[in-house]
Amino acid sequence: MSNQQSQNSNQIANPQTGELPKVKTPDMNDRDFLNDALSTCKYLTDSLNIAVREASHEQLFTDVLQILTETHQSCRELYNLMFQHGWYKLEAEEQQKLDQAFKQFNNYSSQFPY
Amino acid sequence: MPNNQPPIPNPPRAITTKDILYIKDALSWELLTFKKFHFMANQIQNPQFKEALNKAGQMHQNHYQRLLTHLQVDNNTALANLPNTQQQQQQ
Repeated sequence: MSNQQSQNSNQIANPQTGELPKVKTPDMNDRDFLNDALSTCKYLTDSLNIAVREASHEQLFTDVLQILTETHQSCRELYNLMFQHGWYKLEAEEQQKLDQAFKQFNNYSSQFPY
Repeated sequence: MPNNQPPIPNPPRAITTKDILYIKDALSWELLTFKKFHFMANQIQNPQFKEALNKAGQMHQNHYQRLLTHLQVDNNTALANLPNTQQQQQQ
């Protein structure tokens, strides 16, 4: 979770809403707690994914898969919440690079067997 | 495996040695997670975050309950329902 400050107009972020303590202390603040919660969530999705893959019978597979899906959704909600509060800074790629990549991979259609 | 055994179309609803290891692991992960989220929700200042963490915590507790049902199975019944499991003595 790196928050690289880049000074260009492609930045997508909300202003940081001032709910963090003005003075940084060793204590956990709200942002720390949410980051920790999101890390836990990410760990769970990784681990559950393996459990799904290893399930022996259909019912177990279906149930664990649904638990995994709901966990992903929950991680997403935490991420959205953090984004809303300005703790995620996204940066849009330059249009030229985007077009270039599309062109490159679009040209590979000559290799499609179907 | 005797080669006169009738085919088993799908894995039976028995919990395997591997299943139980993963289920126990997953139960431990879920338990730790909802305890942690509950703790955090009490520590955190912002009511919106508090609510989000409690919501997630409740979900993980629900996942715990759902996983637990997979330990409430009768493996003997599942095995008895396999095609032709009468102890066939091989000739």
